[in-house]
Amino acid sequence: MSFNVSAKQKRKTKFKPVYTTHYSRVNPHNKTVFAAVMLKSKTFVKKTRSGGVMKIVREHYLRDDIWCGSEVCSECKQESTVLQRDACIESNLCPFPHYLVPDTNVVLHQIDVLEDPVIRNVIILQTVMQEVRHRSAPVYKRLKDLIHDKEKHFYTFTNEHHRETFIEREPGESANDRNDRAIRVAAKWYSQHLKTPEAEAEGLRVVLITNDQGNKAKAEESGLLVYRCEEYIKSLIANPELVDRLALSNNEQNEISSSKVLFPEHLPLSRIQAGIKSGTFLQGTFRASRDNYLEATVFVQGEGEDSTEIILQGLQNLNRAVHQDVVAVQLLPRDQWVAPSSVVLQDDGVPKDDETNEEEDGRRKRICVEEHMKPTGKVVGIIKRNWRPFCGMLNVSQIKESTRHLFTPADRRIPRIRIETRQASTLAGQRIMVAIDGWPKHSRYPNGHFVRSLGSAGDKETETEVLLLEHDVPHQAFSQAVLSFLPKMPWTITPEDMVKREDLRQLTVCSVDPPGCTDIDDALHCRELDNGNFEVGVHIADVSHFIRPGNALDKEAANRGTTVYLCGRRIDMVPELLSSNLCSLRSNVERMAFSCIWEMNHNAEILKTRFTKSVINSKASLTYAEAQMRIDDTSMNDDITKSLRGLNKLAKILKRRRIENGALTLSSLEVRFHIDSETHDPIDLQTKELMETNSMVEEFMLLANISVAQKIYDEFSECALLRKHPAPPPSNYDILIKAAKSKGLEIHTDSAKALADSLDVAKVDGFSYFNTLLRILATRCMMQAVYFCSGMDSDFHHYGLASSIYTHFTSPIRRYSDIIVHRLLAVAIGADSTYPDLMDKHKQSALCNNLNYRHKMAQYAQRASVAFHTQLFFKNRGILNEEGFILFVRKNAIIVLIPKFGLEGTVFFDGKGKTGVNLRFDEEVPSLTVEQHTFHMFDKVNVTISLDDSNIQHQKIRMALLEPVIPGVSVPAPEVEPQPKKPKLDR
Amino acid sequence: MATVQVSEAEKVYILHGIRDDLRVDGRSCEDYRHMEIETDVVSNTDGSAKVTLGHTVVLVGIKAEIGKPRPMVPDEGYLEFFVDCSANATPEFEGRGGEELGTELSNTLYKVFNNKRSLDMKSLCISPGEHCWLLYVDVLLLQCDGNLYDAISIAVKAALFNTKIPRVHISADDEGGKEIELSDDPYDCVRINVENVPCIVTLCKVGHRHVVDATLQEKACSVASLIISVTHKGTVTCVRKVGGGSLDPESIFEMTEAGKRVGKALHAPLMKLLQQEESLGKKRQKVGFLG
Repeated sequence: MSFNVSAKQKRKTKFKPVYTTHYSRVNPHNKTVFAAVMLKSKTFVKKTRSGGVMKIVREHYLRDDIWCGSEVCSECKQESTVLQRDACIESNLCPFPHYLVPDTNVVLHQIDVLEDPVIRNVIILQTVMQEVRHRSAPVYKRLKDLIHDKEKHFYTFTNEHHRETFIEREPGESANDRNDRAIRVAAKWYSQHLKTPEAEAEGLRVVLITNDQGNKAKAEESGLLVYRCEEYIKSLIANPELVDRLALSNNEQNEISSSKVLFPEHLPLSRIQAGIKSGTFLQGTFRASRDNYLEATVFVQGEGEDSTEIILQGLQNLNRAVHQDVVAVQLLPRDQWVAPSSVVLQDDGVPKDDETNEEEDGRRKRICVEEHMKPTGKVVGIIKRNWRPFCGMLNVSQIKESTRHLFTPADRRIPRIRIETRQASTLAGQRIMVAIDGWPKHSRYPNGHFVRSLGSAGDKETETEVLLLEHDVPHQAFSQAVLSFLPKMPWTITPEDMVKREDLRQLTVCSVDPPGCTDIDDALHCRELDNGNFEVGVHIADVSHFIRPGNALDKEAANRGTTVYLCGRRIDMVPELLSSNLCSLRSNVERMAFSCIWEMNHNAEILKTRFTKSVINSKASLTYAEAQMRIDDTSMNDDITKSLRGLNKLAKILKRRRIENGALTLSSLEVRFHIDSETHDPIDLQTKELMETNSMVEEFMLLANISVAQKIYDEFSECALLRKHPAPPPSNYDILIKAAKSKGLEIHTDSAKALADSLDVAKVDGFSYFNTLLRILATRCMMQAVYFCSGMDSDFHHYGLASSIYTHFTSPIRRYSDIIVHRLLAVAIGADSTYPDLMDKHKQSALCNNLNYRHKMAQYAQRASVAFHTQLFFKNRGILNEEGFILFVRKNAIIVLIPKFGLEGTVFFDGKGKTGVNLRFDEEVPSLTVEQHTFHMFDKVNVTISLDDSNIQHQKIRMALLEPVIPGVSVPAPEVEPQPKKPKLDR
Repeated sequence: MATVQVSEAEKVYILHGIRDDLRVDGRSCEDYRHMEIETDVVSNTDGSAKVTLGHTVVLVGIKAEIGKPRPMVPDEGYLEFFVDCSANATPEFEGRGGEELGTELSNTLYKVFNNKRSLDMKSLCISPGEHCWLLYVDVLLLQCDGNLYDAISIAVKAALFNTKIPRVHISADDEGGKEIELSDDPYDCVRINVENVPCIVTLCKVGHRHVVDATLQEKACSVASLIISVTHKGTVTCVRKVGGGSLDPESIFEMTEAGKRVGKALHAPLMKLLQQEESLGKKRQKVGFLG
């Protein structure tokens, strides 16, 4: 037996008996009272990752000092109560005051109802809380918020730890049955506990709300007052509108739908998992097509670079998947593969759906071309729904009395949703939010319920809310927990702070920003040293001094990622006290800064770089125009002006050198609205003008960012947060090269330098705007710049700036990335201590993903905001004539840019009412011949601009051709006849 | 092993007593000391038992884990023994002091229990050649007052009786891949048939006679002992001689007969007691270690 002795001896005993005694625990409510505590153990068996089975035992304490939280109770020694004495909700089922006890499914599915201000005095049992937490994190968060809301009087009762309400699972009882019983026992306990003379006088009772038939029957048996959720909500006399918010439960779905099964059944999760393991199914994210409601792609993430896209076509194959769901897909046999169709199809929701489907099916098959075929599949099951409440508008049903209506989401990728509401007439014309409850297999559309109204469509506030919601921009007011980490006012710099910081208050520092800017995060100075060199300083608001890692304020900022600037509104990343006051480097106040100070010679070569935390006192907050005026005004010779002139001189050298190295100067038109101070409506629109001072500030910011990027990368090669801009794939430039060729010019795209040089020389005589157009086009060819963690990537190059390394350091008030960079730099120079997450490249990388997502969404929201304000601007202006240039030529349209407004629009040559127009598209040139006239890129055209509000949900700027005149295509000048309304087939 | 010092006079006294079938503590030669058994004492095991025999205290815990069957017997599960001689029992066990004894004990336990005549090993098999239950039997000596083998064997039998193995199902998918699925009901478990599980009876040769359940003093007077494992039917499954002295064939025969007799008599009350305890279910008052 000796051969296995050593192996055995290495193994330690598999269990350790624990000798512990539990006499008492301190009562959390009242520190002096000791409560009797009983020990139970909870046992369950779990499967381990390696396939083993593990028995887990948890100690579970029962106590008798858990109070009921009701005002009427005199027995419980509670310090404060949550549940009110006169808990009245006007109901014709329960005319007496009552507390509600919802079960888990009611909380999970009817959270929208519970959130209504009418519903108060609700007891949330711990059993329910735990189950909700387990089943749905978002609902759990909303429930937590409800409980924290003092107005709602929601009380959590820890029934699982209460000596009288704790129950153990019995043999043969399923986990769900046990929880239902626990809920009943707790409700029963409450109804007995509240049978005090005082409560009797009020007539106070406890009402259990459940939709489970079995549970309801059992509860009635034990003498509880119990209602189904619908029953109860419908009984609320004063608030009939609440019924609309009820999520549809299963039995109601049956009534709605016809018996006809429209969709194949979804497979159960266990079979899906087995299928994915064996490779018969593929898992991926469902992405509905924006243009064609019958088509979608599923993005299957493979290992490394190996990811594929699968095409799904036809309602049957889409099988009730909604945009962003995680689905399981089965590939169809190769002979059924199709090519993505290029038709634009919108679901008009006509009743004869099925016929049209088949018709379209036929059309699709004809379209597909052999070589463009892609892997095609069908959805067999849903792994995870990603439903959120959707913004959109109601299509009021034709039948007046009907309570069932279709809802059209603003996002075209989301299908229409069938909802039930009694207030259709009020909701028509309003922007509303609707949540999906389910999609039964015999229903053409998913079923949902009304959540809330955002306001009337077209209204500025409403539309802004919609675009924030649709772009997932967190814009709620900062919570108390976040605000609690703000410094207390009045705030001053203490002597302790001064010891740790360099005193730069005597320097002539000033800031240059756009007009009206209140979050000033950078300031500059420049002075001549005794040795003839320049000392240049970039001083950045020291936000990381105020936002300490890991606290609620930090987490909120990390989640928001960036400040979002909309027209006329700013959604701050950090609370206003910081963004507009304590961090903002305003003039003539002492502010903390993180300074980057260089010594430069007259050729703007850096001789020395140092970084330090400092205290500065800005001498002036200037706008770009003011700064420009000071530089140009030879009569001014004060310190500030001298400093500005020095900076300007160095900036010019820096810029020239940067461009020599191959940095790109690209162009995109930015517009600025003049907003009426009273109505906040845009009254004028002009493109932003760039001054020398803009580029002066920019140069030094770039320089600071590069210097800091180098420093943090040298110090932390694994976890530096950097920003890269990948070079675009050569095919991106095709359109640019073709466009230039049509004007007889050549564009080299082998390197950034070559591109920059060829853009510089690309000029056409007598067409001064051509170069700008070309640069706009070049911008469109570029890739998105992204944040990344240096330890997770090897390519650091910033293509646009032609810099080998880059990061963001200069705007910590409005970008979270800069805060991280500040922290890294502070650690690097020994000014601050580090923390574990900062050095964890995986956490860092996850943070970068969020920041990249937020930046992208912020950009989209910004564009959407500009587009909306542009529409407002054109709303009352009727039809305008403008001169524009063709930016792109498409198969059936031209895209026209109006330089005056920085506005882009599409002029269609086909569509209803314009049939029979002879179109010839040449992809090589590219050009489009309409009847006799051929359009090329950059051609000058005259168009009419007007607002098309025929579809109130998607209002559009409409353009129509004026010149060149093509009979049957161009429209006459607007004075003669108003522009004919065209169908809404545009994008 | 814990030892006591016994003087010559004491030895003579003990020897003479045993010769007359009257032991120091009043027992006859084939009597056990007072014995206490409690099962299900350690909640994080799948089965456990604590046995107190005189002042000897033994705790046995059984953990069931899923493992791979041995290649020779692909359709059987198996047991693993580990004896931890805790320094609580005697200071001599401190450090590696108890290792030798522990190995000796566990080797004997392998011989006695880990065969298909004692336990239905096939019932521990989940899917032949792939998965089987592996029972880790951990023995913890808490106090040593002689007769460890008997106390341990009784505790092991009681713990096996108490063991509840979670019920598992093998689900096979279309591709022939197998997956173990666990029942979600914690009460849904399999029990082990302990009918044929033997108990060990240790007989100590003292003078010309032999005694059952020797105390440490008696042990000190003995030159050799015989370890006999006996089933409830009286079948001897294993015999081992321990100790330095020799035994003549005739006394071996006598001792074996005595062991069979005692062992048979031991099983019946043990099983009765275990079943009685089991039938109490949740109402049973747990004594635990503080009782």
